[in-house]
Amino acid sequence: MAPWQDSRGRLAPLKAIAFAALFVPAAWLLYGYLARTLGPRPLTEIIHASGDWAIRLLFVALAITPLRQILGWPGLIALRRMAGVAALAYAGLHLSVYVADVSFDLGKAAREIWLRSYLTIGFVALLALIPLGVTSTDAMTRRLGGKRWRRLHRASYAIAVLAIVHFFWQSKLDIREPVIMAGLFLWLMAFRLLPTAARRGGAMLAAMAGLAVLAAALAALIEALYYNLRVGAPLARVLEANLGFANGVSPAAIVLAATLGAVAAGAARAAFLAIARRPGTGARALAPAARA
Amino acid sequence: MLIKIKRGWEKPESAVTPEHLFWNRRQLIKGIAAGSILAGGTALLGGDAVAQADPSSSLYPFKKNDKYKAPRPVTPEMLAATYNNYYEFGSSKRIYEAAKALPLRPWEVKFSGMIEKPFTLGIDDLMKKMPLEERVYAHRCVEAWSMVVPWSGFAMKALVEMAKPLAGAKYVAMKTFMNPKVAPGQRAAWYPWPYTEGLTIEEATNELTLLVTGAYGKPLPHSMGSPLRLHTPWKYGFKAVKGVVSFEFTDKRPKSFWEELQASEYGFWANVNPDVPHPRWSQAQETVLGQDEKVPTVIWNGYGEFVAHLYKDIKGEQLFM
Ligand code: HEM
Repeated sequence: MAPWQDSRGRLAPLKAIAFAALFVPAAWLLYGYLARTLGPRPLTEIIHASGDWAIRLLFVALAITPLRQILGWPGLIALRRMAGVAALAYAGLHLSVYVADVSFDLGKAAREIWLRSYLTIGFVALLALIPLGVTSTDAMTRRLGGKRWRRLHRASYAIAVLAIVHFFWQSKLDIREPVIMAGLFLWLMAFRLLPTAARRGGAMLAAMAGLAVLAAALAALIEALYYNLRVGAPLARVLEANLGFANGVSPAAIVLAATLGAVAAGAARAAFLAIARRPGTGARALAPAARA
Repeated sequence: MLIKIKRGWEKPESAVTPEHLFWNRRQLIKGIAAGSILAGGTALLGGDAVAQADPSSSLYPFKKNDKYKAPRPVTPEMLAATYNNYYEFGSSKRIYEAAKALPLRPWEVKFSGMIEKPFTLGIDDLMKKMPLEERVYAHRCVEAWSMVVPWSGFAMKALVEMAKPLAGAKYVAMKTFMNPKVAPGQRAAWYPWPYTEGLTIEEATNELTLLVTGAYGKPLPHSMGSPLRLHTPWKYGFKAVKGVVSFEFTDKRPKSFWEELQASEYGFWANVNPDVPHPRWSQAQETVLGQDEKVPTVIWNGYGEFVAHLYKDIKGEQLFM
């Protein structure tokens, strides 16, 4: 089936929209490159932007399983493969533009990747993404069978860790985004630690809300440890900055807002369905649509 | 789930140099002198407003000093003014607008430490005492990009002579302003603000070392470190401390901002050398702003004849980090 179709070959609007959306960043970068709107070092800009999109899409793929349960939206599964393959594509673009940036000197690119540990880590992440991409065709999925396919694709957890490390390591001074990524990663992984039986209903929502607070706290701790190890900043001082908005919104606060926001959306939907299912309410007519 | 943080380059198209400015350099340079070709650009750069509000603007352009040659043509002003590292105002290169929040007058410069008599001088009085001139120098950033700028300013040697350091003074430490109210980066209290840099007295009094007040024949835009910044063309750009308010003469080697943060990547000496890589990237080549092709980086950034002798007798130091 084509990326915009469901398993019966019909047009699936959600998939079609998502598929088109995946091309937007690349198209934007291509336009910017041709129109010279990317500033004085366009290739560097593309390297950074494509790296950002690679890791974001990897995270979208990792978020699908928890979000299906939390939002009560099983249909999201249709987007997981697409997001994962797109992450590989953006990572491929990322490496290609890196090679272009060293004037297509493959020897130099290889030497640099070998010499600079953060590039080596990125390279391992990219290599590891390749088998996941290759096994994402319909035929390969069928050939591997669900169980083996799932086991193989658990490598994406480790790849995400490598990508986060690469992200941290390439940062100069600003580690907001990698800290946010690390916090979100912890929360997405925490869901997978819940016993299967506990992955539904109000108890799951409550657990994920608690884990949201924990993930945000750990994000703050990671940030503080980073500055402590790198600059010797007192842990308390960095942690304290999370309590106010003097430094702008802290990365931990963004983690908290994003994760609690997802839980709140799931809770709102569950509450709506509970009311809608009660006999005699006007909302009842809407319920089937919400369930779809 | 998608965290869309606006990146620096997502700017309106108008923020970009028109193609002809990239390529028609001769006309561009003439045009800057005539103040004409950038008319469209200056409106955007706010150059007019800044220049008029600046009490020193009538001093420009300074007399040209052609003794020092730059390896390439002058970088379009638009690029030099809008692609800057100035972490006080943000961690992207696009701090041009944010940096405008810094009030440039009154601007007191403090002279302290091992000098005959500590004193403070307003920037305009300081400029009156200094031999103002314009020099075209290359600027090589540690991030492997470079530009060529007509800098206006004065030899740091003249400033050191005015300060009358005592015989024991070996270094000059320079500090940036401290004003977290207008410089949001400085609110991250765990960084060693204010930005600090230092030179040996020999480096500070080398004929190349320039204290910069302007560029392109007018006062510096905020983004480039107005009203006073350093330029040592044979060193990586992070030595070029911006928004300077203090010169302290000392016998102890100052620890610079980046050295404090990551001594293994950014050292005290920071002399340009293509053969000594940054731990995370090669320094063999550099991207010239506004140009697609990379060019090879040259030791001492090409200024060896003036400075290599300074380091002949220094042993056991990481001169190129
Ligand atoms: C051979 C593989 C790779 C190479 C050579 C590579 C190279 C680079 C380079 C040169 C940078 C910019 C560093 C700087 O300017 O200082 C970067 C940044 C980045 N890379 Fe990679 N990378 C690779 C793989 C990956 C992979 C697989 C991912 C994600 C899945 C990734 C995500 C990122 C991210 C998020 C950034 C930071 C972008 C930003 O926010 O500025 N990279 N990478």
